[in-house]
Amino acid sequence: MCKRSKINKMKFLLFSLLTVLLFGCSNPENKSAFTGELPKQNVAPVGTISSESLYQLTDTFQTQDNKEITLSSFEGKPTVVGMIFTHCTYACPRLTADIKNIEGKLKDENAKVNFLLVSFDSERDRPEQLKKFANGAGLDENWTLLHGSEKAVRTLSVLLNVQFEKDAEGNFSHSNVISVLDKNGVLAFQKEGLEADPAEILAAIKKLQ
Amino acid sequence: MRYFISFFLIIAVFGTVNAQKKPVVFEKKMVLVTAGKYKPFFSTKSNKPVAVAAFKMDETAVTNQEFLEFVKANPQWRRSKVNRLFADTNYLRHWKSDLSIGESNKKIYNSPVVNVSWFAAEAYCKWKNKRLATVAEWELAARGVPKNIKQKSLTDYILNWYTQPNLPVLPNVKSTYQNEFGLYDMNGLIWEWTFNFNSFIASTDSRGNDEDELKNFCAAGALNVSDKSDYATYLRFSYRASLKGNYCIPNLGFRCAKDLK
Repeated sequence: MCKRSKINKMKFLLFSLLTVLLFGCSNPENKSAFTGELPKQNVAPVGTISSESLYQLTDTFQTQDNKEITLSSFEGKPTVVGMIFTHCTYACPRLTADIKNIEGKLKDENAKVNFLLVSFDSERDRPEQLKKFANGAGLDENWTLLHGSEKAVRTLSVLLNVQFEKDAEGNFSHSNVISVLDKNGVLAFQKEGLEADPAEILAAIKKLQ
Repeated sequence: MRYFISFFLIIAVFGTVNAQKKPVVFEKKMVLVTAGKYKPFFSTKSNKPVAVAAFKMDETAVTNQEFLEFVKANPQWRRSKVNRLFADTNYLRHWKSDLSIGESNKKIYNSPVVNVSWFAAEAYCKWKNKRLATVAEWELAARGVPKNIKQKSLTDYILNWYTQPNLPVLPNVKSTYQNEFGLYDMNGLIWEWTFNFNSFIASTDSRGNDEDELKNFCAAGALNVSDKSDYATYLRFSYRASLKGNYCIPNLGFRCAKDLK
């Protein structure tokens, strides 16, 4: 009887010791690995991108009004996104014009949509330059132009499947992609190429409203 | 009293085991890659050779064992927790479980980690206070003259590698050649992620010249390559262009780089 209780006591001791050791070993640090905090759980159904939000990125960007923001500040409305650089002479004005065309076609509903241009040019496209570009192109308060670090811009380009490369003169060759994010920041629609028929994009935006 | 003695004994034993299990802080050796000029492979009128500053690069690709330490310290990068936006369903699929490469996989503990996404590679390098090399840096580093290969040229070596089927068990790092910078396995073992793998390869910011037409047909970019005989490089660029950031592929790994202070 006594022996048994001894064994039990031993077992109990061992058990508590193991518990202490086990929990002592588990890493209390929850260090962020990517660009900041990522959601702790995988919310996405396996193999789909549809429930994945770009608003998880914690990189900060600066607007044309020199405001520090993260992409999540566009939450709540569908967002039309293009990537450009303002020293670009040919494709970017056309990409901007394409998005302006979409804005025009939305008419009264355009206030329910965010229009976003993110610059490839971390060096030259600082807020003041973006402001100048916005004024020159007649972009109103529905539009946000963003400057970000090289890392932040590259990450966004990877997520938006936009290819770009800086050349020796500091200009960029890049693919022209218009993306539509839903109000939760999930990629909903993409169109590649210039002067594309806006009908498809308009339909995609309307579906999200 | 005997309980106390056994208790202390147990503590002592576990204490030692615990101390032994502590990961050894091991700094991966980095080597210097000297400054150079990188001529973009797909050249257009506007892209001249780019100056690449000297930098440091991991001597070998990051191994499974090294990556396991990262996963242990960063729970959001465990296989069962990783976000699909940042890694597809093949992420670390060759491991036994979240925190185990697997006893039966002992042979690959020291082999390059593969089935990792660009985001995972980026996160790993950031964790080590390093970064991924740019395409220009990687290509410059890979151009280093091999010290010990049988083939006549590096191109011959690479093309020979491309003709070999993937081995059932990925060999350990340092199992191929070392180059003049001291880098191992820049070719011959795996493909590697670069920071700007999604670089553009055929310009669309063209000013109404013939490049507009070029992009309309298959392999158009090949007409502009800087050295048409370098089929090996062409394949590497095509491979990169086909990737997306969350892809995890059985022959694609990475190594980290760092600026000189």
